[in-house]
Amino acid sequence: MDLYVQVLVSGLLLGGVYALISIGLNLIFGVVRIINFAHGEMVMLSMYLTFWLNHLYGLDPYLSVIIVLPVMFVFGVMFQRLVVQPILTTSATMKIFTTVGISLLLQNLALIFWKGDFRTVRTSYSMSSLEVLDIIISVPRLVAFGTALLSIIILYAFLKYTYVGKALRAIVEDHSVARLMGVGVEKHYWFAFGLGTMFTALGGVLLVPFSSVYPTVGVPFTLLAFVVVVLGGLGSMSGTFLAGLFIGCVESFGGTFVSPGLKEAIYFAIFILVLLVRPQGLFGKGKGTEEVGLK
Amino acid sequence: MTKNKLYIIGAFVFLVLLIIPLFYESTFVLHMYTLIFFYTALTAAWNIPAFGGQLSLGHASFFGIGAYTAAILYVNYGVSPWIGIVAAAAAAMVGGLVLSLPLIRLRGPFFTLASIAFAEVLRMIAIDWRSLTNGSVGINIPFKPSLMNLTFQSGMPFYYISLALAVGVVYLTYRIRSSALGFHLRAAASDDEAAKALGVNTTLTHFIALMWSSGITGVLGLFYVFYIYVLEPQTFFSLDLFSLQPALNGIIGGMGTVWGPVIGAILMTPLGEFLRFYLGTIQQGLNFVVYGLVLVLTVRFIPGGIVSLLTPMIKRKKAKKTANLPKETEVA
Amino acid sequence: MALLEVKQLTKRFGGLVAVNQMNFEVAQGEIVGLIGPNGAGKTTVFNLISGILPATEGSIVLNNCELSRMPAHRRSLAGIGRTFQVVRPFEMTVLENVMVPALTRTKNTAKARKKAFQVLEMMGLDELAEAEPGNLTLAQRKRIEVARALATDPKLLLLDEVLAGLNPTEVAENLPLIRQVRDKGVTIIFIEHLMDAMMSVSERVLVMDQGSLISSGTPTEVTNDECVIKAYLGEEDPQC
Repeated sequence: MDLYVQVLVSGLLLGGVYALISIGLNLIFGVVRIINFAHGEMVMLSMYLTFWLNHLYGLDPYLSVIIVLPVMFVFGVMFQRLVVQPILTTSATMKIFTTVGISLLLQNLALIFWKGDFRTVRTSYSMSSLEVLDIIISVPRLVAFGTALLSIIILYAFLKYTYVGKALRAIVEDHSVARLMGVGVEKHYWFAFGLGTMFTALGGVLLVPFSSVYPTVGVPFTLLAFVVVVLGGLGSMSGTFLAGLFIGCVESFGGTFVSPGLKEAIYFAIFILVLLVRPQGLFGKGKGTEEVGLK
Repeated sequence: MTKNKLYIIGAFVFLVLLIIPLFYESTFVLHMYTLIFFYTALTAAWNIPAFGGQLSLGHASFFGIGAYTAAILYVNYGVSPWIGIVAAAAAAMVGGLVLSLPLIRLRGPFFTLASIAFAEVLRMIAIDWRSLTNGSVGINIPFKPSLMNLTFQSGMPFYYISLALAVGVVYLTYRIRSSALGFHLRAAASDDEAAKALGVNTTLTHFIALMWSSGITGVLGLFYVFYIYVLEPQTFFSLDLFSLQPALNGIIGGMGTVWGPVIGAILMTPLGEFLRFYLGTIQQGLNFVVYGLVLVLTVRFIPGGIVSLLTPMIKRKKAKKTANLPKETEVA
Repeated sequence: MALLEVKQLTKRFGGLVAVNQMNFEVAQGEIVGLIGPNGAGKTTVFNLISGILPATEGSIVLNNCELSRMPAHRRSLAGIGRTFQVVRPFEMTVLENVMVPALTRTKNTAKARKKAFQVLEMMGLDELAEAEPGNLTLAQRKRIEVARALATDPKLLLLDEVLAGLNPTEVAENLPLIRQVRDKGVTIIFIEHLMDAMMSVSERVLVMDQGSLISSGTPTEVTNDECVIKAYLGEEDPQC
């Protein structure tokens, strides 16, 4: 029994970070309607940035958010302006290939500049853990989960109560209606991209104390984030959060009870299955999905 | 006239290709040609769903399924790879069937995502299912040269085999493109709803295209594993080598055209090998940086691929001819 | 015996009723005009009959064959042809555009090519066979749209504003085609905003307003119908 609870807890903790990374994607995908195959590279870049800030200046990973988040926000905005904006009106194929090309580019630039080594940040709390009722809880994972939860709540409040947030939600819901209602849809693209990238980057930062950084670390996150967004439903923050936790648990249980080598295989299989059975998402309303090829 | 000229040029090139191995002793040159032929066939197979606008970034899955099926049958059960062709094609088509299930509901980027996920799942299974696949160590094809074993002393037979595969698959895609299936694929790519209203079962059309594509790719995987003797999950289910590469060749040559894959494979295979061996040894990753740049720039500046640069020239000749036609009919 | 029987046809989008319990019949060989103010639901009716949208309720029977559960391509095979209001030529030559539907009826490309040529000749497009639709005028592209639908050998042809956006000369050129098509044995329902054209060609007119059928009859009967006039002028009359 304890084993199950243990596995469940570690799955949920990991799922929190997954949810955060995916919420960034959901925002970008929902507003800009582009499938960014380089999403995982945002995670990779933020992890490297955190690593170098620690390595060169001894900055604690958690403190480094004050630098990483603004930098990645700007990076997201630049990415939207320079890469995404020019291809917005082109075909789906062009969008896929452009972002795949950028993903290749970023991975291999990282390889060239920072080598293929697995790099880790050692902190005093990296290995520390709490024991609650015989359940071992890793401190950095707990911090990651707590921070993820908190930032998702902040984002939720932002989308719910601010003018810009409402506009973003309207855009996610329906581009043409938002346009009719006087929302400058295109004007919000850069902001949504910056914001989405920033939340994704936060996920990356939170991973650093307990996982290694290497050039291809982001690759699984692109797929993972899409799995979570599809499961949770486009435009649904709470759906994405739940789906993130769910995928964290799938990975944790699959890794423990099936085979560690297959934990990702299991949720990819779930992904294909969900696309087949309920492409509008398990929890989502699925608005706008037709525009991007879902039926 | 122009069409006849093209046939003559084609026949000439083919003849030159036939006699090349007689003059080159260098295994490197033969290997390079063999690789180009393999990639031509692979890209042409990848291109079949692309006629219908479906972009797969997971063709390594079919390639790997075909290779594993044939290798396991041969190594464990002594089944000749020639018989294995049927099994490899069938197994890869089962893979195609699984991947095509989501196609019922979704198109475009989500199909692409599903295809990547599919290849990743298979790679993990191949690594994990040690009793069947020997895990990440992989399977070695024992060196027992004979025609039945599809194993040869020199590289020459595989030169001809791969040439035959390339010609065969490109010819097949040509036939598909000019058949009802090809018309329906192109219509579906252009406007799915309008195609449906005209009686095209677009879902079935995409499905059949994927069946052809996956079956052929499976057979190519079989030939490739007997060419290089070693079967590792990291290579055969590799995103770079057999998923991205054919897609890259296709987009650079011209996706959805018959000759695009040929042009793409001829250009990109030597470039890829060159980059891997020269740039790759100077600086790991540099070759992929070049790839990424080529990809982004091609999409940005020649979205129709190289074929789109060549067709206006051919079209102009054609237009000159047809411009005379109405006059002739008036006289008649 | 009616060729097409539509009963209780209804389409709801969430809370919005786009088509509300429509009942009508179309006899073999008729030319029926479907008119109504903007947003009345005319194109939605076409979408429901051709299967581009699933109906919420109701039945659509063509030649004793129930269509309402069939996917769009099967309805095309059953004999429903349609054009789209916004022309949607495929990115291929004019001839190839018309070959696409011909190839759903035969697998033989030579036969399909012959068939496509026949249709193009009938539509006066044979000289443009090798042209790309993107380079043609709107009137020509509208003709391609009709040619494509005709290449399916439809029993019933749904024409959605094939005259809209054309100049008077082009209208005069395209208008006789409708009769010509009917004379080949194709029954036609068409949506049109050009009243003169509509009245001159149609034998019977169905009038829709806000998703419902409010009137039907000969062009003269319909133009004298109080309800129709009010629908167009925007007045509400509970009696209608």
